[in-house]
Amino acid sequence: MRCEDARLQIGAEPGSATPTLEEHLQSCAACRQFREEMHTLDVNIRRVLERPPESAAAGAAEAVRVRRLAQPPAWRQWALAASVTLATFAVLALWLLRPSETLARDVVAHVRDEPESWLAAQHVDATSIAAALRGAGVELNVTSDKITYAHSCWFRGHYVPHLVVQTTQGPVTVLILRHEAVSRRHEFHEAGMTGVIVPDGTGSLALLARGAGNLDDIAGQMQHDVHWLPQGS
Amino acid sequence: MRNSQPESPVSSISTRLPGAHAPAQLTQLFESLRPDLVRFAHWLARDRAIAEDIVQESLLRAWRSRDALKEAGAARAWLLTIVRREHARLYERKRLELVPLEDVVETQASPRLTEPDGDLFTLRHAIMRLPIEYREPLVLQILGGFSTEEIARELTLSPTAVLTRLFRARNKLRVICGMAAAPDVDGEGAA
Repeated sequence: MRCEDARLQIGAEPGSATPTLEEHLQSCAACRQFREEMHTLDVNIRRVLERPPESAAAGAAEAVRVRRLAQPPAWRQWALAASVTLATFAVLALWLLRPSETLARDVVAHVRDEPESWLAAQHVDATSIAAALRGAGVELNVTSDKITYAHSCWFRGHYVPHLVVQTTQGPVTVLILRHEAVSRRHEFHEAGMTGVIVPDGTGSLALLARGAGNLDDIAGQMQHDVHWLPQGS
Repeated sequence: MRNSQPESPVSSISTRLPGAHAPAQLTQLFESLRPDLVRFAHWLARDRAIAEDIVQESLLRAWRSRDALKEAGAARAWLLTIVRREHARLYERKRLELVPLEDVVETQASPRLTEPDGDLFTLRHAIMRLPIEYREPLVLQILGGFSTEEIARELTLSPTAVLTRLFRARNKLRVICGMAAAPDVDGEGAA
């Protein structure tokens, strides 16, 4: 494999790993560095895309142009009528479905979108942990030598701390959800992962581990270690 | 390919859609995916109001075609595809005459106030400035979870062309983020 081919593959699909590519990377330090840079870039691209762009600065030109050129959209009336219908059904659905299941679904989807979080092996420094916690209104007693991943992630309309803590059961993902209040403990299993959401402070903690296992002890420990600061501090 | 057969992440939610007998569950499923759809449409259209219009129209189309959706686990990819097509359709319908983005960005209040991380701010603007032919496959890949082959089918391009566009998109972002550009690759091949 030529460097040009390797970089095309890495640049197009940074997460791809074919035997041919791996063989090339073993003997090409430049391409290895290129892949590391692309991995870092891709993590940041994902973080950016998970938050919608700023309309005011970006799409204004197109927006103005669309609105200027558009005829009065007749379908909007139908859309409005359908919205009312959909909203009615949604209200009914809320009676049928527990919110915690939707939250669990979003937690799993978020973690699946950041597979690299499980792979982190090096301890995160205190500055990075502080950055992840910044604005979340919490302090953490966990020593940094147990944390191998710490990011502030866009989740359900807020930036929330996304941590991976090394435990005797292996890595456990912890999302500190100040804005997601739950009334009681909720356990779930999906895609080879086990999770639990527990109420804590004014919100909740979501914990997720690969494989089966009991996360209650770890959840209890995190409830002890997470200190919720007063709103606005 | 991460989302070719996406599964409901929560096993306690039935993955089998109930059809016309339980529209509330289908509505709830659609509504649960709405934030993802709006975000996706927002990155394509770069305007919140247009994105919401696109999603609204897409959900109506999806509702009318709901019999085509057999499994709840496939709903996200199915709806994202509808949103992408609705976005393309909207812009074809309006026959837009775009003005350079730079002309507008420089006249608007800086959104830096809402973005604490300078690097991500730079990257965010860089992605917004990507031409649609590069931004669209990138968003489909990263936000949509589509494989190269699926993107190629959706955009009626060859897989090689998609790979080239994805490479060029990231290469442009590399440069804007201060990294050295990789040598460009040959053309996109047959579409």
